[in-house]
Amino acid sequence: MDVLVEDHPNLVSKIQIGQSYENRPLYVLKFSTGGLNRPAIWLDTGIHSREWITQATGVWTANKIAKEYGQDLSVTAILDSMDIFLEIVTNPDGFAFTHSSNRLWRKTRSINAGSRCVGVDPNRNWDAGFGDAGASSSSCSETYHGPYPNSEPEVKSIVDFVKSHGNIKAFVSIHSYSQLLLYPYGYTYTAVPDQQELHELSAKAVAALSSLYGTQYKYGSIITTIYRASGSTVDWTYNQGIKYSFTFELRDTGRYGFLLPAQQIVPTAEETWLALKVIIEHTRDNLY
Amino acid sequence: ELSPSHFPATRAAAAALGYLRYLRGGPGRGLELRELRRARRQDIDDVGHKYYLELELEDVLDKDRTVNCTAEVLYHLGSKTSAPDVQVTVQGELRSTEEADKEFYNRIRSLEKELVAENIPDSHGNVPPELEPIHLLAWVASGYVIWQNSTENTKFHLAQVKHVKQVKRSDEDLQFDFVVLLHEMVSQEVLPWEVTLLWHPQRGAQVSQ
Repeated sequence: MDVLVEDHPNLVSKIQIGQSYENRPLYVLKFSTGGLNRPAIWLDTGIHSREWITQATGVWTANKIAKEYGQDLSVTAILDSMDIFLEIVTNPDGFAFTHSSNRLWRKTRSINAGSRCVGVDPNRNWDAGFGDAGASSSSCSETYHGPYPNSEPEVKSIVDFVKSHGNIKAFVSIHSYSQLLLYPYGYTYTAVPDQQELHELSAKAVAALSSLYGTQYKYGSIITTIYRASGSTVDWTYNQGIKYSFTFELRDTGRYGFLLPAQQIVPTAEETWLALKVIIEHTRDNLY
Repeated sequence: ELSPSHFPATRAAAAALGYLRYLRGGPGRGLELRELRRARRQDIDDVGHKYYLELELEDVLDKDRTVNCTAEVLYHLGSKTSAPDVQVTVQGELRSTEEADKEFYNRIRSLEKELVAENIPDSHGNVPPELEPIHLLAWVASGYVIWQNSTENTKFHLAQVKHVKQVKRSDEDLQFDFVVLLHEMVSQEVLPWEVTLLWHPQRGAQVSQ
C-alpha cells in the first residue's frame, strides 16, 4: 500500500480508520483527484479471513485503479468526479491467524466473555436485523453475531467511517466462494424498494464479468439466492441510504473453494473488475 | 418449478453431486457440476420433498466436454437421521478411466511404505500431480459423507483433505483412511470427518463404516 501511495501521490493516500481487536491498524486506500467530500464508492475485501482470493483481488484492483487513471477513459471519468475507498485486509487478525494457525478461520479473533471459543462473524455483526434468524447466538459458531451490534472494532470502524463521510453512494463487500452477485436483504424476505434496479444492474454486471473468461455467476437477493443472514454488511449500508449495496462471492463454485489456486488470482480479479466498473459507472450516472 | 439461481435447487444439486461422485468417481475421474439447468420440487404428503434436477456435469480431467444427467433427490419428511434417496441417470458416456485406474492401482500396490499425505490442496490451492488421484478418491469418500448427511438446509463441499493414510490389506482392495474437512455453506462450519474408503479398479469404491 505504501509503495502505491509513493508511486501515485496525487491519487492514492492511506487512511487509518481504526484498530483491530489485536491492535492491528485498519487501513483504507483512498483514490481521489481532489474535491471536497465527493460522492464515493466503498470496496472491501478480506472481511472473512479464509477467503484469500478476495484480499488478493483487492491488491490487484488497487494497482489497477492507480494504473488506469489517466489511461482508461472510464476510470479517469469516474475518478474525476468521485472518490474510491478500498479496504483490502478488513479482518487483519483473522488473516494473520489463517497464516499462522488455521487456514480456514473465518471470524474476528475477539475473546468472548465466558467462552473458550474465539471470534465473531463480522458479516453478522451489523445493525440490520441484528440477532434475528440467520445468525447464531453461540460464540462457538462460525456465524456468531457477537454480543451486540458493532461490538467488533473491525465493523465499528467502517460504520463510523461511513456515517462521518456521509456521501458514499455505492458499497461493495467482497467475499468468496460461490460465484454470486447479491443485493439486500439477507435478514428479511421483504424486497428492497430498489429491487428491480438492483436486479437489472446485477444482470449487467454479471454479463460483463462473464464476457472475459466465460465464468458463470448467478445473482439475486441474499435471502433467496444463498441463505437467510441477519446483521450483514450490505443490509446495514442499504438501510443507511446507500442504494447500490452489493456483495460478491468470487470464484469458484466448490472445486477448490477457499483454497483457490494462485494462477486464478489475476483472471478472477480481471473479470471482477469488469463487473465493478459496471456498478461504479451506473452509480456515477445515477447519483442521488 | 424452481429457479436454478435460488438455494433450494442448488442444495439438492449438491446432494446429488455427492452421490454421483461416490457412485461414478475414481482416481481418474472427478465429476464437477458445470450448470444446474432446471429444477422442480414435488411435495409428497406423508413422505417428503422430492427434487427433480437436470444437471450438466464435467469431468475435471476431461474439461472440453460435458455430460447431461438427471437426478431425483427425495428428502424424507421429518427425518433428521436418514439420508436422502438419490437416483441419477447419466445421459451418454463418461470417459473411460480403465488405463489410469490400472496404473494408479499398480503404483500404490508397489509402494514400499504406505502412502501418507496431508493438506490436499495446501493453503495456496496446490496439489502435487502425484497426489491428484488421491485427491479425487477423497472426492469419492467425501461424496458419500455429503450424500448421507445432506438435508434441505445444508450445502456441503469438500474444503480440504486434512490427512490421508493408506492401509495395506491382505485382499486386493486399496484402503485409504481419510480425514476430510467439509465446508457446510448454510452454517459456514468446517466439519472434520473420518472416512475409510476401499477401492478396486473393477469393483469401484466403497465406504466402510
